[in-house]
Amino acid sequence: MKGKDHAALADEFNKDEPRVNWHDETLWWVRQKRDKAAHKVPEWEELRETASQIKNNVLSNLSEYLQQFEAAATANGITVHWAADAAEHNAIVLSILRRHQVDKMVKSKSMLTEECHLNEFLSTQGIDVVDTDLGERVVQLAGEPPSHIVLPCIHKKKEEIGEIFHEHLGTPKGNADPQFLTHAARLHLREKFLTRRVALTGVNFAVAETGEFVVCTNEGNADMGAHLADVHIASMGIEKLIPLRKHLGVFLRLLTRSATGQPITTYSSHFKKPRPGQEMHVVFVDNGRSVHLGRKDFRNSLKCIRCAACFNTCPVYRRSGGHSYHTAVAGPIGSILAPNLDREKYADLPFASTLCGSCSNVCPVKIDIHEQLYKWRQVIVQAGTAPLAKKVAMKTMNWVLSNPSVYHGAGKAGRWFMLNAPFTVNNGLNLWYKQRDMPGVPKESFGEWYKKNKK
Amino acid sequence: MSSRDKILATVKANQPEQRALPELRLGAGGADGAVAAGVGAGGGDLSAAAGTDLSAAFITMLEAIGGSAYMVSGYERIATILREQHPRVGRIISGCPELEVFAETGKRYADPHVLEDVGLAVLKAHFGVAENGACWITEDRMIERALPFIAQHLALVIRCQDIVADMHGAYEWIEKIEGAAAQAEGAGAEKGVGSYGFATFIAGPSKTADIEQSLVLGAHGPRSLLVFLIDEGLSDAGFY
Repeated sequence: MKGKDHAALADEFNKDEPRVNWHDETLWWVRQKRDKAAHKVPEWEELRETASQIKNNVLSNLSEYLQQFEAAATANGITVHWAADAAEHNAIVLSILRRHQVDKMVKSKSMLTEECHLNEFLSTQGIDVVDTDLGERVVQLAGEPPSHIVLPCIHKKKEEIGEIFHEHLGTPKGNADPQFLTHAARLHLREKFLTRRVALTGVNFAVAETGEFVVCTNEGNADMGAHLADVHIASMGIEKLIPLRKHLGVFLRLLTRSATGQPITTYSSHFKKPRPGQEMHVVFVDNGRSVHLGRKDFRNSLKCIRCAACFNTCPVYRRSGGHSYHTAVAGPIGSILAPNLDREKYADLPFASTLCGSCSNVCPVKIDIHEQLYKWRQVIVQAGTAPLAKKVAMKTMNWVLSNPSVYHGAGKAGRWFMLNAPFTVNNGLNLWYKQRDMPGVPKESFGEWYKKNKK
Repeated sequence: MSSRDKILATVKANQPEQRALPELRLGAGGADGAVAAGVGAGGGDLSAAAGTDLSAAFITMLEAIGGSAYMVSGYERIATILREQHPRVGRIISGCPELEVFAETGKRYADPHVLEDVGLAVLKAHFGVAENGACWITEDRMIERALPFIAQHLALVIRCQDIVADMHGAYEWIEKIEGAAAQAEGAGAEKGVGSYGFATFIAGPSKTADIEQSLVLGAHGPRSLLVFLIDEGLSDAGFY
């Protein structure tokens, strides 16, 4: 593994304790809003079950749905492209820009383009990309990736955003009023919307039956970009297909309630045909998904609709921050998706969990997230890509637990050391003691006590 | 082998055994199977089929998401309220011919950029959704696709009986709109005639909470949303 792993990055995040507490509480508040919204829908569990079954059907029929969508969209005047990997996706986008001799574009939120590192690629080609979602614009100006797929700058304090806007947009120094800063961004981005000829958006759902795709935003930035541009490019992972338009009724009821506790996003826009004179492109991106589909234990993660409910509820995510996951989609779902792309690079992520199962409980499409985390750990350890300290510890533990005499001896020795020489246990080498206190040490083990008292 | 063929071949080889689609038995019409059977099958209003007054629930939800609603008797009241609510809004464009003395109506625009300075857009939507306060509007009612987003303020008009309980009812209704349009085109019309090229649900004003989860209305789109519910039986006497 190159670079720092989740634990090391989380350590950095944890240096500022008040900020960690604030981050934790903010996301827990979003989780509570989700609960309130979900509890208002009496048939919530039925909705989840239906959504899960629809997605199971999608995975089992994906090759047909992709072709069905392609045929319908093509008939509607949309050009459909197929990208085997990130590089091909980026090349397709670049070729469209080049054909129109355009070197500037606006982009609404798309985690897929984060996964493909589109912005970095286009900037090396002399193309200027402006992210138009407010949170994404903030992190783009800060030179950072989003830390959360729904709330991209949730890790930033308003004072820091005020400072970023002061530097880049010329707002008065020291002004950190969200209303004021949002208005400044509105003016700044309106100019971009009005002058860019190409707009790229993500896709929330693509309907095989009708060849239309749906983009959900609260800000209206996807629509502002797409309807003012000569060319609309929509990039989507191949798993975003749904069979029938009426299935949107199920997914749109679940998506935003799970994400932020809103009953629906402000805009749920259905794009079916380009407007007269406009070009519309859909880029299907595989990038490992078709291989992932073949992994029986892990394919369910492709049902994800990117609501981030599992982020907000996760005790590890809330206290380690999105950047500690060093991947475009962080949190529990990201931790089961990323090892599919690169098992070695992301070998740490399935261990960034307590396996408490809260993620699976809130998932609107019933992905067995915590079970997959557990299964990835086994795959990773068997493949020998687990972190070294963990490997050694597990091997030792295995030896101790499978030898009764060693086990009893080790227990005795452990108690003696903890009583008489605690520094040998509680030191920097033993990660268990990080942010934990020593337990009281009993004089004897239960086994010894039982022997004495069994009469 | 093209990427298309390669992707399709890998997907086909790896996709699991066929799983059946579930039947949709959800929503206000779903409990008794009405949604599956098609609520509108009797030819009546979808909203009437629900049998309850959904306008109150719709208004409560709309207000909760930052919009406002007015029950009105007709377009005269709408013009009066808009003059009061938006006294110095500047350029007003409307898709309602009834508002021609009040707004630009009946024009087409070659380039959406000329809408940059629109202060208020007043458009007819198809119906509202009680569970989330959203209104469904298709592009033929938007004048330009950009208009409901680029205007500083937006007002939508629906009939007060045109409200469905939930999103399942909404998609039933959308299908019905398309069916009616296709029929109007003539019996020989091909599938898809009368369908929209673009359409959207609009639920409240444009908003963001990206800065420390503080809700701010007016992100990139309209800063306010008014929804007028026309009830022709309503008297103006009680107002103002």
